Amino acid sequence: MKWLGSRAAFAVFVAVLAVVPQVAPAFWVTLGNYIGLYSIVALGLVLLTGVAGQTSFGQAAFVGLGAYTTAYLTTKYGTSPWLALVIGMVITAAVALFLGFITLRMKGHYLPLATIAWGISLFYVFGNLEMLGGHTGMSGIPALSFAGFELKSENRYYYLIWTITLASLWATNNLLDSRPGRAIRALKGRLEMAEAFGVDAARLKIVVFVYAALLACISGWLYAHLQRFVNPTPFFITQGIEYLFMAVVGGAGSVWGAVLGATVITLLKQVLQDVLPWMFGRSGNFELIVFGILMILLLQFARDGLWPWIERILPRRTPPPVPPAEPLPARERATRAGPLLEVRKARKQFGGLVAVNDLSFEIRPGEILGLIGPNGAGKSTTFSLISGAAALTSGDIRFRGESIGGEPPYEIARRGIGRTFQHVKLIPQMTVLDNVALGAYLRGGSGIVRAALALDGAEETRIKAEAARAIARVGLTEHTFDAAGSLPLGKQRIVEIARALAADPMLLLLDEPAAGLRFLEKQELAALLRSLKSDGMTVLLVEHDMDFVMGLTDRLVVMDFGEKLAEGQPADIQRNAAVLEAYLGSVV
Amino acid sequence: MNRVPTLRALGAALAIVLAGPAAADINIGVTLATTGPAASLGIPQKNTIELLPTTIGGEKVNWIVLDDASDTTKALTNARKLISEDKVDVIVGSSTTPNSLAMREAAVDSGTPMISLAASAAIINPTDPKTRWVFKTPQNDALMADAVAVSMKANGIKTLGYIGFADAYGDGWLAEIKRSAQTAGIKVVAEEKYNRNDPSVTGQVLKLISANPDAVLIGAAGTPGATPVKELVARNYKGKIYQTHGVANPDFLRVVGKDGNGQILPAGPMLVFEQLPDSNEVKKTAAEYVVKYEQKFGTRSTFGGHVYDAYILLSKAIPEALKKAKPGTKEFRAALRDALENSNVTGTHGVFVMNANDHNGLDNRARVMVKVENEKWVLVK
Amino acid sequence: MDLSIAALLAQDGITNGAIYALLALALVLVFTVTRIVWIPAGEFVAWGTLTLAGLQTGVAPGTLKVLVGMAVIAGLMEAWGCIRRGQAGRLPRRLAAWTGVPMVVAALVWWLAPMQLPLPVQVLLTLVTMTTLGPLLYRVAYQPLAEASVLVLLIVSVALHFTLVGLGLWFFGAEGSRTPAFSSTSFTLGGVNISVQSLLVVASSLALIGALALFFGRTLYGKALRATAVNRAGARLVGISPDFAGALTFALAALLCGFSGVLIGPITTVYYDSGFLVGLKGFVGAIIGGLSSYPIAAAGALLVGLIESFSSFWASAFKEVIVFTLIIPVLLWRSLTTTHHEEDE
Repeated sequence: MKWLGSRAAFAVFVAVLAVVPQVAPAFWVTLGNYIGLYSIVALGLVLLTGVAGQTSFGQAAFVGLGAYTTAYLTTKYGTSPWLALVIGMVITAAVALFLGFITLRMKGHYLPLATIAWGISLFYVFGNLEMLGGHTGMSGIPALSFAGFELKSENRYYYLIWTITLASLWATNNLLDSRPGRAIRALKGRLEMAEAFGVDAARLKIVVFVYAALLACISGWLYAHLQRFVNPTPFFITQGIEYLFMAVVGGAGSVWGAVLGATVITLLKQVLQDVLPWMFGRSGNFELIVFGILMILLLQFARDGLWPWIERILPRRTPPPVPPAEPLPARERATRAGPLLEVRKARKQFGGLVAVNDLSFEIRPGEILGLIGPNGAGKSTTFSLISGAAALTSGDIRFRGESIGGEPPYEIARRGIGRTFQHVKLIPQMTVLDNVALGAYLRGGSGIVRAALALDGAEETRIKAEAARAIARVGLTEHTFDAAGSLPLGKQRIVEIARALAADPMLLLLDEPAAGLRFLEKQELAALLRSLKSDGMTVLLVEHDMDFVMGLTDRLVVMDFGEKLAEGQPADIQRNAAVLEAYLGSVV
Repeated sequence: MNRVPTLRALGAALAIVLAGPAAADINIGVTLATTGPAASLGIPQKNTIELLPTTIGGEKVNWIVLDDASDTTKALTNARKLISEDKVDVIVGSSTTPNSLAMREAAVDSGTPMISLAASAAIINPTDPKTRWVFKTPQNDALMADAVAVSMKANGIKTLGYIGFADAYGDGWLAEIKRSAQTAGIKVVAEEKYNRNDPSVTGQVLKLISANPDAVLIGAAGTPGATPVKELVARNYKGKIYQTHGVANPDFLRVVGKDGNGQILPAGPMLVFEQLPDSNEVKKTAAEYVVKYEQKFGTRSTFGGHVYDAYILLSKAIPEALKKAKPGTKEFRAALRDALENSNVTGTHGVFVMNANDHNGLDNRARVMVKVENEKWVLVK
Repeated sequence: MDLSIAALLAQDGITNGAIYALLALALVLVFTVTRIVWIPAGEFVAWGTLTLAGLQTGVAPGTLKVLVGMAVIAGLMEAWGCIRRGQAGRLPRRLAAWTGVPMVVAALVWWLAPMQLPLPVQVLLTLVTMTTLGPLLYRVAYQPLAEASVLVLLIVSVALHFTLVGLGLWFFGAEGSRTPAFSSTSFTLGGVNISVQSLLVVASSLALIGALALFFGRTLYGKALRATAVNRAGARLVGISPDFAGALTFALAALLCGFSGVLIGPITTVYYDSGFLVGLKGFVGAIIGGLSSYPIAAAGALLVGLIESFSSFWASAFKEVIVFTLIIPVLLWRSLTTTHHEEDE
């Protein structure tokens, strides 16, 4: 997700924005103010819901927190509004941390409901507290002043709102195109994969949640000083729903979707308000009906929102090639005698079923080891045990002499074990470059704040260069900027390998990489693996495809019924009677 | 009567080209809650606009009506729109207190007089630069609460239980009745809240009854006022039940049925104008309005009456202002404000005698006590 | 609080909870088969009440106009679809189903409305109307988007909710209505006053739940729906049309919600916008059931009813706060104890 394909289009947008208060009717400024306010909240939702996949209906409550904090402090204590903003943000962050901690542990559908729950709760708290004016509200909120300028007129306020809106857009856009941004994009439906590359998903979700809450708080603060009156009704769940509405209608996948959605919905309501009485006579109340119908039609024809349509007509610039940069610090590869990975009497039991029965084998440095066996042999379970996705019932797994049994996936990733997935887990809308760059997550260190303020430039360049190197290594340079989902399956699997390489691993775990590939694709994959081996990479390959495995591996381990059936060179395995019996029935 | 709509989504050029209202017309902007929780107030108000004439003082009048969906942000946006786009000379609205409070900012900023249709006195009090431009036609809650307290005292009530809406209307009434009750020596022994969409009020009513008050006051508007009644009756509550003027509409009678018999409420005289003596100052005006309204819309509404009263105020004030300035100018609006401030007219709800410290101007002539008998409104003499 | 008050509150809570439970079941049903979070379920409840109230006054309810309108639109959509796919031969049967049947229903109800037939007949007419409306809604608003993400379907539900609320205001007006109770007697059991109406509500809810369980467990159509819920693509491969499954689901869900509306009408005044909060509480129940388990959803809804009832006694001003705040720990507990399959969007 980059800036508008054309800087020019953006410049035009800002110019039009700046000029509106000077030439347009005063009401346009009023509308522009509200659009700006809504955009800020919708932006948080784009990040939280559109990108990270956490549906939240409760943003309106955070807007209310921001608005009420400043209303209370400025009217009762005469605090400076700017200080009230800071206090409001602290309070909002605290509440968001608390709520996020509870609700973000919830998976799936529990989360949206929890957001509804506290969204409604907070509304009634606002309405029932005498000190907040109850349902009647608080008036007499002072206007903002900045450097001696009173920001009372709508025109002046307009510039403040839009400066803040544009700043938020800038920060969020930076955030999305950065190390934490890539991780955030993986939160939606690719959690397992993200954790395998070192992302602490639980923590990241909360951080995104707080970020969205802070944006809402800022919007609330601006709202209070614009209207100079607050009461609970604008912070009810219905408004929370509308913010989500705006984000989805505008296009929840892009920061510009937030602005577009806010604009479309606000303007549409005004247009309906004017046009419908003229068409249907004054006696009816058709705005809501027509609005609902239009939205349904819009979604039926533009499922991803409106922004993708606009993006298509904007001039696109071809992305410049990735600039070379100093490589990231490589992993220390002290050579050590002995096997790279040892599986020692590994056992996995699911209740009464023993999936892996005291399995022992080793992987020597620089070899390609194949793990094969008939269906149900326990290969995938063994794979999960090694990669940390499943826990050992007993036994141990040692990597470079150290025990890794029981460690979580991101710890195992940190040690230098990379993996691919049986069902390709790329982020389809992201470019190949970004997908691969996610693999280097653990090799960077920028957090959200640095990323949002664009202070991570140097590190980003290095990460991108590293990713570009990995992509070149696997031979996919011409697809660097393509959306990963647009590639054929064979190439997607190779992208996964590139991603694993970006983590600078010593051992690659490949989970059925040849599954679903066509003949030529398999040949390309085999060639790549051989090439990696000649560079010193060690590979564990779990596979079904015999031809693929026989021609590629140095050694084979055959499993059956959770146990090691045979081990040795491919040629020997092919003649092994027990193996033949397991696969084909008895030998003739 | 409708102005030509400008299609705001089109460019600035188009907006300038498409005509706004003609300069000599008087534009009256109206924002009402015709959808949302307060729709039962806003819809009769909107209906009343249909009955209003399109000329005042020899000048053409454009009534521009917008819906604010009972939402404060929308009410304020509407007010701003009316002021800057439609260049209104006066704003009428909104139907609820929070909406009116929000709109004040716009009225004050632009120097446009505003006539609110909402209940709370806080809209026009205290007298300060903000409330200078704001007037209201409905009786203040305080006026009605006093009447209730007086009636209760006369009936020997010593303890009162209150159950009302969890919104500005309910909050406002609770505050007022506490004040009035204290003056009348009545103690409020229970306070409960409910929402109009609550499926039941069993818990609240049980709590009320356990405090054993002599009377219960229900602070609701529209048909939701019937919900606690049904429950109180079901629980065999034997004390007196009072309602507020918010339920003075026929739908309430329809929903409450025979359970409503015996309830007492304060109301604007227009509710029972046929039962008023001919000497009553308000009867004639009330009759004019109610007959016209019922002819077109079936059953009368006291909420609609507030709009009609706004019209009556304007019909006297506008000709005054016309002497000083032309419509559409800042001077006209200022003159209109001055004229409104000196209003002395008879409306459908009472006699308005305003001054700089009282932008409502109603007194005891604006209320009567009404009892429900045989599922009809009966004046309490 | 003494025992008799507690008993009354419990009775109140269970009665409301039974109604929310029907709603929760409808929501779980719709979600599992179609992945739609059906927010307008609340409107169907309100419309159930208001339709019956309209019939009570001898007036053809506004719901019929919506029915006819949707039937026409659905017919046009079907026609367009058939022509585009070159299947003009199928058109007559489709039109008969999508436009013909609703029109017949509407005409029947319109004709019978002024006759002020006895209450059970009117209830039946109401249920028939609402049940016919359900699949039409699915056809017109959701079917074109059947493969969209859960979020988009959710937003469509929200838009539909706005539309139905607006239509409700237009047809039913701003003031509310109540419907007559099936029975106004009550009796005392062990010192506690129990109303027959409450018993009827709980009993009829249980009966409907039982009937649904039979339907899903014993009939072919029921099993087809369960199959679609478990695996959409797989069900399609064995010949279960997802469109048909969707339409049938919505018919059942509409029946459940309409019935809820009929049950809730005597208890409280229902307005054109009452549906939202009622739907929300049913939604809470459904979520407690993980949007997948019917018994737990019903139990969750019952819990909501009870919490609501008791907290309206203890602290009526904060009732909503209590209800919705207490839900959160329940949700937390549920989410930690259910296995979660990551949604691969």
